[in-house]
Amino acid sequence: MLLALVISIGAMCAISAVLAIIMVIAESTIGNYGEVSISINDGDKKIDARGGKPLLTTLKEANVFIPSACGGRGSCGLCKCKVKSGAGEIMPTELPWLSEAEKADHVRLSCQLKVKGDLQVEIDPALLYVREFRTTVVGLVNLTHDIKQLTLKLDDPNSMDYKAGQFVQIETPVYERTDEPVYRAYSMSSVPSSKNTIEMEIRLVPDGICTTYVHKYLKVGDKMTVNGPYGEFHRSENDRHMICIAGGSGMAPLKSILYDMREKGINRKATYFFGAKSKRDLFLLDEMKQLERDMPSFTFIPALSAPDAEDKWEGETGLITNIVDCHTEDLSNAEAYLCGSPFMIDACIVVLKKHGMPEANIFYDKFS
Amino acid sequence: MKQTVEMDKVQHNMRPGCITLKGLLGEDKRNLVDILIEDEGEVIRLGTSHKAIAERMQELRDSGVEGLGESITIEDRYDVRVDSVRGLLPCPYEDGTVQKTFIQVHNRMLKRSITYTDLHIHMIREHGFYEGKGSSFRLSPQDLVEILDVPPSCM
Repeated sequence: MLLALVISIGAMCAISAVLAIIMVIAESTIGNYGEVSISINDGDKKIDARGGKPLLTTLKEANVFIPSACGGRGSCGLCKCKVKSGAGEIMPTELPWLSEAEKADHVRLSCQLKVKGDLQVEIDPALLYVREFRTTVVGLVNLTHDIKQLTLKLDDPNSMDYKAGQFVQIETPVYERTDEPVYRAYSMSSVPSSKNTIEMEIRLVPDGICTTYVHKYLKVGDKMTVNGPYGEFHRSENDRHMICIAGGSGMAPLKSILYDMREKGINRKATYFFGAKSKRDLFLLDEMKQLERDMPSFTFIPALSAPDAEDKWEGETGLITNIVDCHTEDLSNAEAYLCGSPFMIDACIVVLKKHGMPEANIFYDKFS
Repeated sequence: MKQTVEMDKVQHNMRPGCITLKGLLGEDKRNLVDILIEDEGEVIRLGTSHKAIAERMQELRDSGVEGLGESITIEDRYDVRVDSVRGLLPCPYEDGTVQKTFIQVHNRMLKRSITYTDLHIHMIREHGFYEGKGSSFRLSPQDLVEILDVPPSCM
């Protein structure tokens, strides 16, 4: 009886050992895709890498940064790129993000596509200029009860070329709320001429990994890694009346655009509607008033949707959509720059179109 | 009730790194079926239903959207802020995706707050799932019923 038991245990151990060896061999052969070559934009850049990782990660390791807001989990749909050959079948996890036209056009979600062989990839050429920056926190200021202004000095490289209105991705390092680095996108509020310093306005998202880190853990003197610049939200070169609308931290890219105009002496007609709930949600009022003095064609209209009694608010009151509606007439030859909550942007687009603004003249930076 | 093969797959989707960084189960090591049974018992004890809870969450969410991303007062006693961040989240039960919308509700009378998402509303309404114990986004049925004033209902 005892002998049979020992033989059984021995047999089990032997089978387990054989299976473990098979798994190790499989890992190093079936799962080993060897060296692969990735050609970007018809050979403008070539990368030699080891296969086996997602395309997003493989490109990042070669200093080619595709924006992603979810850290490669396939839940933001931002990291799309065209893979002209070598991609294989579309993964089920990509399907919710791809339209029929995109599927036909070989668009893929780079975080879900595993690199298994040579690829031909097409990305926005501007992404080839995106860099990763080591930075130091030199400013962390409370603008409101839930918005902080974060200022970073660029250490390496020590300058960034960007357009007013663009954004960067901040890397949140490992801390008690995350076991791996997490990336989130934030618009820059600084002026592009300040090449060595960038500034952002970051609103606390409940339980948000990155915003909680910035609001509750980050200190002046800490090191941070960012990559950028990204984005197509910037001032177009014409003389149309600019209707700017923002709420909360949506102030950031518009501040950058307006300060850039002041610096360049562009006295284009611009009206800036800024919505908040009560006075404690307003910020940079003095700076905007100064901008009105410096740029005679600029008007700033802050509006509160529900001012507190102690606010003694004498300015505009109501939802920002109603304020825009009341202050504008024919907008058929104007253009709009919107930044803030997707709900605000969708509602504002309806109002702007009601006043005759062509949809092609409405530019927005949705937080979604 | 027994844990089915389908539930195993759903529970796999709820693990860290599948849909969200930290997953939907927290420190809860129980089978999904046991988590569901316990929460269902709690909801019955509170004299309401998953559907009634989800409908109340949805009602406040839809009213809060009118604040266009800022907090607004609803029914003279709730401060509600509804906003979105970039992206969609798939349901672990693989029956659709929802926007990453979060809803912050502060009940002035009780001086208590709760934050939930569109995914919570969907998971509670369709699957009776409130996330595992210890999960950062776990919602206790009792907190929901008390803070949102969920009306009594039959299961």
